[in-house]
Amino acid sequence: MTPGPLTVALLGNPNVGKSTLFTALAGIPTRVGNYPGVTVEEKVGRFTHRGRAIDLVDLPGTYSLAPQSPDERVAVDVLHGRMPGVPRPDCILVVADATNLPRNMFLATQALEVGVPVVVALALADVADRKGIRIDVTELSRRLGCPVVRVAPPTGEGVAAIRDSVVEAAVGPPPQPLRLAAQEFGTAARPAAAAEAIARYAAIERLLEGVVGGSDTTPLMEDRIDAILTHRFWGTLIFAGVMLAMFASIFWLAPPLMDLISAGMDRLSAFVAGVLPEGAIRSLIVDGILAGVSGTVVFVPQIALLFLFVAILEGCGYLARAAYLMDRLLVGVGLSGKSFIPLLSSFACAIPGIMAARTIENRRDRLLTILVAPLMSCSARLPVYLLLCGAFVPDRAAGLPWLPLKAAVLAGLYALGVVVAAVVAWVLSRTVFHGPPQPFVMELPGWRWPRPAVVLERAREAAWSFLQNAGTLIVALSIVLWALMTYPRNEQAVDTDIAALRQSIDERIKAADDNDPDRAELVTQLEALDTADGLAAARQGAAQRYSVLGRAGRLVEPLVKPLGWDWRIGCAALASFPAREVVLGTLGVIYNLGDVDPGEAEGATALERRLKAARWDGTNRPVFTLPVALSIMVFFALCAQCASTLVVIGRETGSWVWPVVTFAYMTALAWLGAFAIYRIGLALGW
Amino acid sequence: MVAVSLDDVAVGTTVRVRDVAGGDAVAIRLLEMGVTPGVEIRLVGKAPFGDPLELELRGYRLSIRRQEAARVAIGDR
Repeated sequence: MTPGPLTVALLGNPNVGKSTLFTALAGIPTRVGNYPGVTVEEKVGRFTHRGRAIDLVDLPGTYSLAPQSPDERVAVDVLHGRMPGVPRPDCILVVADATNLPRNMFLATQALEVGVPVVVALALADVADRKGIRIDVTELSRRLGCPVVRVAPPTGEGVAAIRDSVVEAAVGPPPQPLRLAAQEFGTAARPAAAAEAIARYAAIERLLEGVVGGSDTTPLMEDRIDAILTHRFWGTLIFAGVMLAMFASIFWLAPPLMDLISAGMDRLSAFVAGVLPEGAIRSLIVDGILAGVSGTVVFVPQIALLFLFVAILEGCGYLARAAYLMDRLLVGVGLSGKSFIPLLSSFACAIPGIMAARTIENRRDRLLTILVAPLMSCSARLPVYLLLCGAFVPDRAAGLPWLPLKAAVLAGLYALGVVVAAVVAWVLSRTVFHGPPQPFVMELPGWRWPRPAVVLERAREAAWSFLQNAGTLIVALSIVLWALMTYPRNEQAVDTDIAALRQSIDERIKAADDNDPDRAELVTQLEALDTADGLAAARQGAAQRYSVLGRAGRLVEPLVKPLGWDWRIGCAALASFPAREVVLGTLGVIYNLGDVDPGEAEGATALERRLKAARWDGTNRPVFTLPVALSIMVFFALCAQCASTLVVIGRETGSWVWPVVTFAYMTALAWLGAFAIYRIGLALGW
Repeated sequence: MVAVSLDDVAVGTTVRVRDVAGGDAVAIRLLEMGVTPGVEIRLVGKAPFGDPLELELRGYRLSIRRQEAARVAIGDR
C-alpha cells in the first residue's frame, strides 16, 4: 500500500517571503479557494519528494498564534487539525525572516508548542549575509530542537534541504513540545495573552543569546532610502509620481490591449455570425455568450497590470510605505492607508480596485474599501459624461463667464464620487462597522528587490482567479440579460410600432416651421426609415421596447419620472445593468439608431442629434434638457449599474449579502442625487 | 516637559518602553510585535500629516498610529 500524501502547513509572518518559498517548493498552486465558512484564502500546492506526495498548505500570514483576526484563527485551526477538509498537518514549515530573527522567533516558538514536528526555514538568508547578520544555524537548531535551514530561493539555496527536512520530520517520531517559558496566567490588569507575550520575548532574548551576531541595525544605505521615501515633502512627491505611473499604466497602457481583445472577439463574433443562420441560436451565441465572454476577458489586462504593479510595490517594501504615507488622510473617514491603492485603481476600473483590496489584512477596512470603491468614477462612466456634457452643458454659465462649464461639470462628477464615498465610509464606520478600535500596527519591511517570479505569479493568479471565479458568472448573467432584452418577440407589435413612429415624425415635421432646428433631423429620421439599414435599426429598437426589459422600463416610468426621465431613459438605465458604458449604445438602439458606436465621432454626433430631437410622447417638449442631462450623469456617477463589479464583490467578500447591499445603497443614492440635481436645476431655471 | 508616552517623543530619539497600557487587542498586538517593557525604540519619523509614526525596534521597522503610541509608557534610557 502506498502511503497517502503528507500535509505540510506553511506558517510565517506577513512579508517574510512565504509566497516565494511556496512557489520554489510547489510551483503553481493546485488548489486555490476559500476555507469553508470564512473568506480566508486557501492555497494548496503539491510536490513529490522521495516518493512521497506532499500537500503544502499556505496559511495566511500571521504574527501570533493567539488568534485575534479570522485569518489567524484559520491558521490556528489548520495547525490543530480542526479545519474541516484539511488533515492535521504532519509537519509545520515555519518561514522566519533571517534579517529580523527576534520578532520572527515569536511565531516560530509558538509553533513549536503545538506538538507537530516543525522545520524552520530562515528566509532572506542572503539579505542577512549582506547586512552582516551572522546566525549560528547549528546552535539555533539545537536550542529549538528542530531542523533549521537557510533558504534563499532566488539562488536555489536550501530548497532541496527543506524538502529533505520536511519529509524526515513528517514521518519521524512526534517531537517533545517546546517549553520555552513557564505557563503565564493572566491578571486583572494584564490578560494571559499579554503576559505570555512579555514572557516569550524575554525567553527569546535568552534563546538567541550568542546565536545571532554581527550588525543587527539597518545599514546606512537603507536608512537613507527610507528617509527620502518617507520624507514629508520628497516622500509625498515620489509617492505621487509612483501612483501616477501606476494609474497611467491601467488607464492608458491597458486600453490598447483591451482594444486588441475586443477586436479579436468582434472578429470571432462576426465569423460565427457569418457561419450560423440568422435566428435565435445565432443571437444567443453572438449577443449572449460571446458578448459575455468578451465583457469578461476585456478586464484581464487591467487586472494583470495592476497586480503586477502591486506585487512590485509589495516586493520592494513600498506598499507598506504608501499605506503609511496616506493613512492620516483616510483614517478620518474610517478607512486606512491601505485603502488608497484599491480606491485609486477604481478610477480606472472598480474590478481590479476591489481585487487589490486583498492587500488589506484588516477585514473591516477591506470590506469598507470594497463597498465604496465602485463610487470612484471609473473609465466606463467617462463616455457617458463626455457625450452628455458635450451635448447639453453650455460652454459658459450666465454670470460666470470665466468658468469653462463643461470641464467644471466633468470635474464635479469625479469629485461627487469621492465625496460621497468619504461620507458613506464615515457613516458605515460609525454605524454598521462600529466596534472596538482596530489596531493599526504595520510592519515596514526592509527595502529589497522584488522577485520577478513572485511578481509574475501574483499577476497570473489575479487574472486567473478573476476568469475562473467571476468570469463564469458574468457570462451566465450576460446570457440572462440577453434573453430579457430579446424576448418575447412580437413581430406584429413591431410593425404597428414602426407605423406609429412614421406617423408621429410626419406630424412633427408638419407642425414644425422652417426655422425649427430639429426639422432637418426629423426629415433625416423619416428618410432613414425608407432605407434597409434604417428600418432594421428601427425594428431593433421596437423589438427591444417589447422585450421583458423594455416593458420593465415602461413599468418603472413612475419611478424615473421624478428624475425628469421618460421611459426610454429608464429603459436604457435598466439595460445598462451589464455595464454602464452600454447605456449609450442602448440609447442608440432605443432611439432607433441601431448599434451606434458612441466611441467614434460619427456615432456620437448621430446619437447627440437624435437625443436633442427627442420629445416626450405626444408633446413637443424636449426630453433632454440641462437638468435632465445632469440628472442622468449624477445617476450614473453614483449607481451600481455594473454586473461585473457586483459579481466581483460577491466573490471577494465570499457572500451575496455585500453585492446586494452595494447595489441597494448605490442605487438609492443615485436616485436621490439625480432627483436633487434635477429639482435644483428646474428651480434655478437652467 | 519630559515625554511620558511614545506619541510625544521627538523624531530621532531613542526611548525605553516602561509599560503598555490595557489588555485589549491593541495592547496584545503591540506586545506581540515586540513592544514589551524594557525594549528600546527609536522614533525614525512621522508621516506627512504627523501620523502615523515610524519606529525602529528589535532590528526592524514598525508603523503605529499616535493613538496606539499613546498607550506606550516610556521611561528614560
